[in-house]
Amino acid sequence: MRKKGWLRRASIAWLLGLLLVATFADFLANDRPLIAKVDGETRFPVLHEYGTALGLARPYQPIVRNWKKTETAWALWPLVPYAAGATDLKNANFKSPFDAQETGPRARHHLGTDKLGRDVLAGLVAGSRVAIFVGVGSLLISLLIGIPLGGVAGFFGNDGLRGTRARWWGRSIGGILGLLYASVSLLPFFRVENLGLTVLLLILGFLLGGWLLSLLLRLIPFFRKPTNFPADSIFLQMVELFVNIPGLVLLIALLAAINQPSLWVIVIVIGVLRWPHIARHLRAELLRIRNLPYIEAARVSGLGQWRILFYHALPNALGPLLIVSCFGLGGAILLEAFLSFLGIGVPTDEVTWGSLLRASRSRPDAWWLAVFPGLLLTFTVLAAKALGEQD
Amino acid sequence: MLRYILQRLSLLPLSLFLLSLVCFALLQLTPDDPVRRLLPDDEARLSSDDPNAYDRSYRAAAASLGYDRPAFYFTLQNAALPDTLYRIARPKERAVLRTFTLRTGNWPAVENYYRILKELAWTVRSEDRIETSTILRRLLLQEDFDRTKATIFDLKDDPTTAPLQTAFQALENTEQRANLLLPALHWHGTNNQYHAWISRLLRGDLGVSLNDRRPVTAKIGRALKWTALLNGLAILLIYLISIPTGLYMAGYRDSSFDRITTVGLFILFGIPSFWVATLLTNFFTTPAFGMDYFPSMGFGKLPEGASIWEVVRIRAAHLFLPVLCMAYPCWAYVSRHLRRSSIHELNKAYIKTARLKGLSRSAILWKHVLRNASFPIITLLASILPALLAGSVLIERIFNLPGMGQLLYDAALTRDWPVVIIVVLLNGLLTAAGLLLADLAYAFADPRVRLNGTKPSAS
Repeated sequence: MRKKGWLRRASIAWLLGLLLVATFADFLANDRPLIAKVDGETRFPVLHEYGTALGLARPYQPIVRNWKKTETAWALWPLVPYAAGATDLKNANFKSPFDAQETGPRARHHLGTDKLGRDVLAGLVAGSRVAIFVGVGSLLISLLIGIPLGGVAGFFGNDGLRGTRARWWGRSIGGILGLLYASVSLLPFFRVENLGLTVLLLILGFLLGGWLLSLLLRLIPFFRKPTNFPADSIFLQMVELFVNIPGLVLLIALLAAINQPSLWVIVIVIGVLRWPHIARHLRAELLRIRNLPYIEAARVSGLGQWRILFYHALPNALGPLLIVSCFGLGGAILLEAFLSFLGIGVPTDEVTWGSLLRASRSRPDAWWLAVFPGLLLTFTVLAAKALGEQD
Repeated sequence: MLRYILQRLSLLPLSLFLLSLVCFALLQLTPDDPVRRLLPDDEARLSSDDPNAYDRSYRAAAASLGYDRPAFYFTLQNAALPDTLYRIARPKERAVLRTFTLRTGNWPAVENYYRILKELAWTVRSEDRIETSTILRRLLLQEDFDRTKATIFDLKDDPTTAPLQTAFQALENTEQRANLLLPALHWHGTNNQYHAWISRLLRGDLGVSLNDRRPVTAKIGRALKWTALLNGLAILLIYLISIPTGLYMAGYRDSSFDRITTVGLFILFGIPSFWVATLLTNFFTTPAFGMDYFPSMGFGKLPEGASIWEVVRIRAAHLFLPVLCMAYPCWAYVSRHLRRSSIHELNKAYIKTARLKGLSRSAILWKHVLRNASFPIITLLASILPALLAGSVLIERIFNLPGMGQLLYDAALTRDWPVVIIVVLLNGLLTAAGLLLADLAYAFADPRVRLNGTKPSAS
């Protein structure tokens, strides 16, 4: 298929728009005003919420519980003056966008409401935030795993990394032993409980163990012989093992096993399951790049291997990689919608496109619950696919 | 060729083994307690009236399930922990002992403290000291060391807890943190839970469902029948539509037919099938919009002594929408592959010969091109199958069909682990087998694959 310029631009525009909506979701749909004058004091209720959450500001006094019933001198409301998940019992029981609604002087529910009068448009805005969070987050995780693995495998191949046997054996086996020791003994000894420190200690254990064992092994003549590190073969075997995992089925089982559903778990699991796609593509790209003349030239001029990989080869491969990873973005968003549609793994108080679709199943004639989130999902998936299309 | 097959085949058991490990780890990590589920409700009441008797029956139940054995062939753990920790049957109790030992490094003191706590919790008569006994029983499962410390400190006015106070004091004063620095590797041999589980699995005994105590084999057998029917029909529909489409798209390349179909298929490819399925069920299987054309749920009930035509009619009415929803996303995939390989064939000399002979375009496409271009299509089947199986989770859920997907969903929600694990393993087996078949077929078609050991597209 020829790449149509407008299709590309439209896709990028759609995804960027979604990103904007997700970022400013609180300013677009909220049940408190952006700016309001109460009792002679100008307040920024939405912005201030962020401040209090970050601990930068103290809550306004007196606290306003319900802005809709508060007398204000004037107020600037968001585009959608409803929060996702906030009930509006006056308009409960599935009000269609065209029904008579009892909203008083405030804006109508433009896309209708659900059983408890929750605004569908506000739900869509909140859902876009969840979708972007899961999509981008899992993409970042798979990039984090895929770029180093695919990069090393593609750039060095099976014969690019030379070193003594002591180095390879020592680093891999010693590293694993160090990691195990750190997790079994050092963590309880130092009473490390916070996540960042744990990871730091594990990495330290890995490095230290690898270094120590390779020092030791260097004493044995057998291990002093230089060999190639078969990076590519190891990589291919790892990918092989990973693609055999039935992703979705395992995901359902994993998420059902977890007591407290959280979006973070979904992000991590999807990211970890999807890294082979990214890594494979990067490997293929680097296999091509490493034979290009400019890499040859860099080698001749005496630059270090790793420097060539990170400063010269990888930057050239990242452009195509990002385009391909858009494909993954669409897939992850679809998977999230799919899971929240099933009601597995996504917190129940989170309004998502999938959860709106699920709600529509209990009331088939409320077409607005089914049509709008589905359209958003379709456009997003199509945009991601159109961008990620390779040929 | 044989070498390549063997090389590829040797990886399959390894991935299945790893998958079984993942599944088993999942079984171990699940927070709920399968033994407690096995015990009848009367026993649960016992736990407050007579904890001693409850403990005994719990142990018996755990032993009957094999939970009194170590989890795996070996354990790698902190040297401060005893190697027989697995004998403590209740997971929560074990967790408390583990946390406390990892905190202080002194196992004998922890053991002593816990023994005294247990005795006290069970002997303090609930009539006179109702507060103390509830607090003590809560302490039995309290994992947080600092909170336990605070609670015990609060109890110091109560003289009955004096032995507990001294034991806890001793525990705190005799910390041996240096013990924590050593790791220990214990070898348990084949008498472990994983070995028992996997050998039962290999013998064909898949266990019983935790929900209704029916054998998993029976449950899966019934569900598999429907899923196979659904997927078989879907594959049929995929090829029925996409082979002619792909062929004619190649034959009339760059015509408006080609362009419109490409765009149409691309859009179909992008529309999530579960949304379409939801819309279809909402619009066409309910009276909400006056278009109640299809029956709504399940596979339909067959009347007694129905003729073969009636059976087909009823089943078809129930299966039409789900099969359609499963098939349409694959149309684009298959027909685009076919289009590409057909164009490749169409540029060859023998097609020119056929044209010079005066064969019509249709005859060329169907007789000559399809035969040569269809090979990738057959191998595609192997990669479609896993996707279809995964997709049927949603389709079966939406159309309420009692297949594997529905089984997985229900089992996952009710935490019926024996069923979930088997479904995951079965899916893994099918996925791996599908990919393996595809690779072998590629290798048959393209000798370069065998020589490189990788697919030509990847290098």
